[in-house]
Amino acid sequence: MTTKFNRWRNAGVIVTMSALTLTMAACSGSDAEPDASGGGTAVASGDGTSGEVTFAYLGDASQQDAFEAMFSVFNEQYPDIKLNAQGIPSGDWATFSNTVATRLAGGEKIDIIQIATEGQRLFASKGLLEPLEPYFERDQEFVDDYFDDISPRLAQFNETYASDPDGNVVFVPGGFNTVGMYLNKQVFDESGVEIPADGNWTWDEFVEAGETIKAKTGAYLVSSDAPSGYFTGVMPWLTTNGASTFDDTWTTPTFDSPAAVEAAEFARSLVEMGLSPEPGGQFDMYTQFAQGNLAVIQGGRWPTINLREVDMVDSTVFVQTPTNVSNGSPVGWDAWNITKESENKEAAWTFIKFLMSTEAGEYFATVGGTIVPARESVAASAAFTDNAPEFSTRLSEAMDFATAIPSPDRGAEVQKVIEEAWLTILTGNGDAQETLSKAQQELTALVND
Amino acid sequence: MSTISHKEVRRPGQVARRRRTALTGWMFLSPAMVVFLTFVAGPFVYAFGLALYDWDLLTPAEFIGLNNFVELFQDPELPRVLLNTFVFAFASIVTHLVFGLLLALGVDQLISRSLSYFVRVSIFFPFLVSWAAVSLLWKYVLDPSFGYFAYYLGLIGIETPNFFSDPAWALPAIIFIDLWRTLGFTFIILLAGLQTVPRELLEAARTDGANAWQTLWNVTIPMMSPILFFATIITFIGAFQIFDPIQIITKGGPNNSTTTMVMYLYEKGFQAFDMGYASAVAILVFIIIMGVTLLQFWGRRKWVHEA
Repeated sequence: MTTKFNRWRNAGVIVTMSALTLTMAACSGSDAEPDASGGGTAVASGDGTSGEVTFAYLGDASQQDAFEAMFSVFNEQYPDIKLNAQGIPSGDWATFSNTVATRLAGGEKIDIIQIATEGQRLFASKGLLEPLEPYFERDQEFVDDYFDDISPRLAQFNETYASDPDGNVVFVPGGFNTVGMYLNKQVFDESGVEIPADGNWTWDEFVEAGETIKAKTGAYLVSSDAPSGYFTGVMPWLTTNGASTFDDTWTTPTFDSPAAVEAAEFARSLVEMGLSPEPGGQFDMYTQFAQGNLAVIQGGRWPTINLREVDMVDSTVFVQTPTNVSNGSPVGWDAWNITKESENKEAAWTFIKFLMSTEAGEYFATVGGTIVPARESVAASAAFTDNAPEFSTRLSEAMDFATAIPSPDRGAEVQKVIEEAWLTILTGNGDAQETLSKAQQELTALVND
Repeated sequence: MSTISHKEVRRPGQVARRRRTALTGWMFLSPAMVVFLTFVAGPFVYAFGLALYDWDLLTPAEFIGLNNFVELFQDPELPRVLLNTFVFAFASIVTHLVFGLLLALGVDQLISRSLSYFVRVSIFFPFLVSWAAVSLLWKYVLDPSFGYFAYYLGLIGIETPNFFSDPAWALPAIIFIDLWRTLGFTFIILLAGLQTVPRELLEAARTDGANAWQTLWNVTIPMMSPILFFATIITFIGAFQIFDPIQIITKGGPNNSTTTMVMYLYEKGFQAFDMGYASAVAILVFIIIMGVTLLQFWGRRKWVHEA
């Protein structure tokens, strides 16, 4: 019966999506997803390949221009490969993973999925991805050149956390993001607070700076895109206190450890002291930063793009997240793969090699990429540091002490539990120990289920 | 004298013409039927089948019989989700009908035609704005630190709650935002209904000495009862399926205080990748809406004035 059912699965899945959302239809308007055409035939021709490659990536409207510019460079170099790039403007990687999974289930052929750490295990664990070792072996020299130029820790993380159930390498690690802080030099100068010269400071120094800034300018000390977001809001405080949400194997939650509780209480204290805005609504963080109402923005590479838009690049300096135990940061990385369903694996590999190239990395960094380039040579080059806040290279230096953001197979559900708990604590709606213990139980159930 | 039957006088070609007429009718109907069968009836039937499977979208489905339903009725989160949904639906019905009727009565009294048009358009306008835009708008307005609400009330010494992060306030805030956006639809329906109340009945009531309240309660509302009944049904069905503002503003939080049935369905289907279970939730949503609607139809005999 299962077999018979599966025979109809692909044909029926699109209508099934409609069925599940049938009840949403009456009063909810939903935008149609971009159309996709997968498939085609890859034909080796001379030195290159041809055919159609469908590439799914996360990119909102603000990033589309950068991606499109990079794709046009590829198309110039490989005119015989038709690149069907599908930017999915999901707000986070969990949503992106869900969208891609739904499309795959609907029978769409996607050749390459660019996906960040939060969604890698989902796809790897289902056995949907092609082992890449044969491709590596065939282009060993090129691949070695790439891996020699990226952080060994990035390569190690990719191997440890993003292999398939049989231990095959199924992802090529791409760019990454660590998290640090963008300081508004004008606000710090006006308050007479010194910016840490070596980029390192402690929680106590951070609070002291915030109190002075608040007293002298009335500005809030710190905010981020998502104060209770897993990557930007939760992990920086945990990792700088020697904690994390899971152990190194991502199989055992550690979200209610004493160090995690202490980190959560510290994050709450920033809100209580009026140093961080109350989470729960929405405001234009970059405008507030430019207007001097906010001294520090927490984030990875992506705030640079927004700082350019509000003309604040030259008035901003990047430092590491303050520490209580030792330097810490989460790291999440993009990765590329070839799906087993791909009918154009050769063309897909050609495109991945293009993405791995120095040229693509430099070009993407120059036109406004929101990640730190994987190649260290590119991350240290003018392509990355020009028109960027001072000391932006500290983002790649943070890789030395960064913790891979724990993202078990059921990443979206895990993320929801973590963010809900953190928001409860930040808003003062729950005691830190009690809330994290409850979340710990939920996480344990999720990884053991 | 011979009698000629009806059949015998039928002109040659009449049957063919009737067939052509019927065929034309079906052809006009067919686009709507294809859409209905493809996007409503087909998925509906498919969802019933899917509810019997364990399927994560990415790997082969496994037949598990009624396990999804057994699990659903033992789900510790279900009572909370149902309660949230019914609270939202009940509040939605009451607020839409009360405020919609009050606005309709007020606008109906306006003498200036241009002012009446302006007010009607103003009240209806939010309904034309997408849920995404409305949700983001209110996230900005009600931001606890930089929002207009907090700012202006702060000027007069009033401290505002954290609307979207406080479990006690999140659902009421969503109810208010839903009312703000969709009230115009109820208002227009009720205004149309109000304008169908025969003026001579109102004049007769006034002649008999009825005051404004008595006229409203004994004449206007009974005469409007079919429209009120329709508005009640439509509002309940819409409210029970609330999803967009919750997904955009609170994502069901804080502490699941805004998780409604369709939000829960989404979480199970598209976050937990449990499509069979999500289908079971969808079927439960259907059964509840169908049941409550039938109950409303049964109850209409007691209060709906049939002409």
